[in-house]
Amino acid sequence: MNNNTLIKVMVPVVGLSVALVVAVVGYFVLQSWWSSPPAVLGFGDGPTQPIAFPHTTHVTEAGIDCQFCHRKVSTDEAATVPAVAQCLFCHDFGKIDGTRSDSDTAAVELAKLFDEGGNPQPVNWIRVHRVPDHVQFVHAPHIQNGVSCTTCHGDVANMEVVEQVRNLKMRDCVDCHRDNNAPTDCTTCHY
Amino acid sequence: MGLTRRQFLKWAGVTGVGAVVFNGCRVPDHEIQVQSPVELPEDLVTGRDNYYATVAQVGAGSEGLLVRVMEGRAKKVEGNPDYPLNTGKHHIRAEAMLQATYHPDRIKSPMVRIAKGGPFRAIGWPDALDRLTKILADADPASVLIATAPVRGKLADVIKRFAKDYGAPSLGFDPIDQTILRTAIKKIYNQDALPDFDIARADFIMSFGADFLGTWIDPTHFMRGYGEFRQGEGRERGHLVQVDSRYSVTAAAADDWIYVHPGAEGLLALAIAHVIIKEGLGDANAARALTGGDINRLSRYQPSNVATEIGMSPTAITDLAHRFAGAHGRALAIGGGSAGAHTNGVFNLTAIYALNYLVGSVNVPGGVVFNPADHQSQITGAPVRDWKAALDAMRSGGTKVLLVRDANLVHGLSAQLKVTEALDNLDTIVSFSSFLDDTTARADLILPGHTPFEEWGSDTPDVGPGYRTVAFQQPVINRFRDTMAFGDVLIRAAAELGNAMPWGSMRDAVRAEARELHRTNRGSVTQPTFEEFWKRSLERGGWWDQGDTVSGTPIPPTLPRTPERAQIVGNPNSFPLHLVPFEGHGIGVGQYAHLPWAQSVPDPLTTVVWSTWVELNPKTAEHLKVKQDDVVTLESALGGFISVPVYVNPATPPAVAAVPIGQGHEQFTTYAAGRGSNVLDIVAQTEDTDTGSLAWAGTRVRLTKTNVRVGLPKLEGIEEARQLPGEPVIEVFKLGEGDRGHS
Repeated sequence: MNNNTLIKVMVPVVGLSVALVVAVVGYFVLQSWWSSPPAVLGFGDGPTQPIAFPHTTHVTEAGIDCQFCHRKVSTDEAATVPAVAQCLFCHDFGKIDGTRSDSDTAAVELAKLFDEGGNPQPVNWIRVHRVPDHVQFVHAPHIQNGVSCTTCHGDVANMEVVEQVRNLKMRDCVDCHRDNNAPTDCTTCHY
Repeated sequence: MGLTRRQFLKWAGVTGVGAVVFNGCRVPDHEIQVQSPVELPEDLVTGRDNYYATVAQVGAGSEGLLVRVMEGRAKKVEGNPDYPLNTGKHHIRAEAMLQATYHPDRIKSPMVRIAKGGPFRAIGWPDALDRLTKILADADPASVLIATAPVRGKLADVIKRFAKDYGAPSLGFDPIDQTILRTAIKKIYNQDALPDFDIARADFIMSFGADFLGTWIDPTHFMRGYGEFRQGEGRERGHLVQVDSRYSVTAAAADDWIYVHPGAEGLLALAIAHVIIKEGLGDANAARALTGGDINRLSRYQPSNVATEIGMSPTAITDLAHRFAGAHGRALAIGGGSAGAHTNGVFNLTAIYALNYLVGSVNVPGGVVFNPADHQSQITGAPVRDWKAALDAMRSGGTKVLLVRDANLVHGLSAQLKVTEALDNLDTIVSFSSFLDDTTARADLILPGHTPFEEWGSDTPDVGPGYRTVAFQQPVINRFRDTMAFGDVLIRAAAELGNAMPWGSMRDAVRAEARELHRTNRGSVTQPTFEEFWKRSLERGGWWDQGDTVSGTPIPPTLPRTPERAQIVGNPNSFPLHLVPFEGHGIGVGQYAHLPWAQSVPDPLTTVVWSTWVELNPKTAEHLKVKQDDVVTLESALGGFISVPVYVNPATPPAVAAVPIGQGHEQFTTYAAGRGSNVLDIVAQTEDTDTGSLAWAGTRVRLTKTNVRVGLPKLEGIEEARQLPGEPVIEVFKLGEGDRGHS
């Protein structure tokens, strides 16, 4: 094969490859921009939290209501995460220390709540659900109007690691508001 | 191809700028982190309140309460609308109980005195309980006296059981006990429980000395009835006559206030009875029974014979009798307070309550309504005669150990009885009170008790609402200090001494009581399971059964043919004024003097707060050359005296010096110590002949001016009073023609 033939073959191959790469990257960028990143290469997974908190154990097995920990979800803007003191309602005094769990790591994870001296320490969770700063999302009216936690957050009760299941973009919000006859004025969310 | 220096710098610059620019697009760390702090921060405080139903003994009354609790702290007291006695209202004393829980001077932990007269040292509960057990185990039970304030319900059961099993005597202490009233009720109605006075459905009330709208027994309950009596829907306004030697709150509210000489209330009642019987105005059967069939039995009480002694004209007495017997609707006679606080106390009250037979007001709506006594458990205040004997036993060495809970003997018994001397003769005093009152200050060991909002208990009210009632007291908050409920201490001590009670704690004891009620399957709460019953009755504040009443009317006993006269201590020439002590509106007889809210309740008539004073008629004051705010000494025939400022009151009868009880504590927290004077110290220690109760209204005094003046703290006069232009001046009261009592 002479050089001309090689060039004739390679140019389309390279061109197609480049076009494919550009198409894939473009799709990825645009999909991420308009919605959520495609769930490949770990992009759809939830972040690794400082403590591997299993919602499955607490919600599905122990039957704890969402609002037991996210106390202000029905009354305020933020659902709020519980204080460590609230974790210790159950996990203190040796009542539930993880040693009776089927999981090998439960005791190790619970131990992370304390420092070497046995003092409880704050936990810096990594936020999973987030809307832009120019959006004011208030939990209370949604809960008060019967919107279930799962509508936006998915089946958290069965997630070992919490991940985002809806894109929570503006269209998502507006569609849902329209479907439920909720206000769609700009100032509903942007104020 | 080589990389030139220029190209390297260009790429490095572009990369650096790109890194900076794109780094700006990152979401800041603080936005992708959300922290669970260690403690519950303010933004997690829900700010929601809870209301818990409970009950409290307020003076002698029983009040169902709802306590507002936020974040574990009791904030506000309200009346329980469900509870049959106070039906949603409550007394200021109940409100002030909050201050008992959070009082800065509250005893914070068990304490022991290192040596007699030495300072106290804080100890732990195991040590305190060990010491108590050792004291009780080492002592001869007969030499141990258990002294408590009047107690009802399950705690009374526990105390009685402890005393019986251990073998120690137990006495209730109330400076102005109700033994005379109870004895009169037993004598005239054959009832063991005090009856309810159905004020709401009465049409004409004649009250003798009972300040039922002020401080007598259960004023909140009576005031609820009084509201209906005056302004109830679908009924005519009731008429109230108050016969009293002092212008009390009830006298002020009455349509007619009639002054009679102290101790002559019984004579007046019998004179009224005489008129009714003689003129055939009352129930013929009752009249026959009360006179033993002899219509002239009461002839000695003919108004003309006793008018001078009573202090009314014969016409006024006859007129009053006609109004009582001819009242439109139901007439009701009530007696108590100062009318019974004489050497002839039982005579007086028996005569007063006999009037209800004549107008058919015994155990009927609108009259006296009997209360079932079968299930009632209480320790009542013992007569002063018993306390004198108890003090003698302390002096003689017969009593060596005193267990005391809220019975402030040093303040409540007169100094003439030399109480401190008797207490000093004891080997050991153990106090279970929550405050360092005058008696607890002399204790060797203190095991501080809970306050009412922290403990379990129950109440069987006396006066009840006319049917069986059991109220439940539940802790509405966790204990605030290192204290333990008195009942729990006794239950533990009994177990240590080998006399274990059937309950492990006061809660168990109350639950056992509730179980019995659940088994009856009737009343205000009925539930299929006990746990449901328990929960529901705690929510409602108790259980009551409107079907469990006392039926029938007893046969009236015969009335005494000859009058029994009150012995008033003090020669009228040397001691011209009649001393009328009365209970403080807020601080009671002193048991609430440590609570600032109770201290700051203005006396309804004088508006004075935080003080002791003597009420004098302007003419008496003028005669004695004293003015408002002059400090005078009051001296009784017994030699004791107190110094008090004068309050000039035109409604005070000229022959009367009225002084509130309750102040004059040496101890009992910063708010009570060294404040005012204790009028009980100059009250003659004479007794009712039947019961041995203190005749606290039977003393004469003389008054001496000092050169000291103080400004009485009072609300009156703070704002200038102005007459509305064009409006007529309405006189507060006017003497009836022929009345000469306080003219």
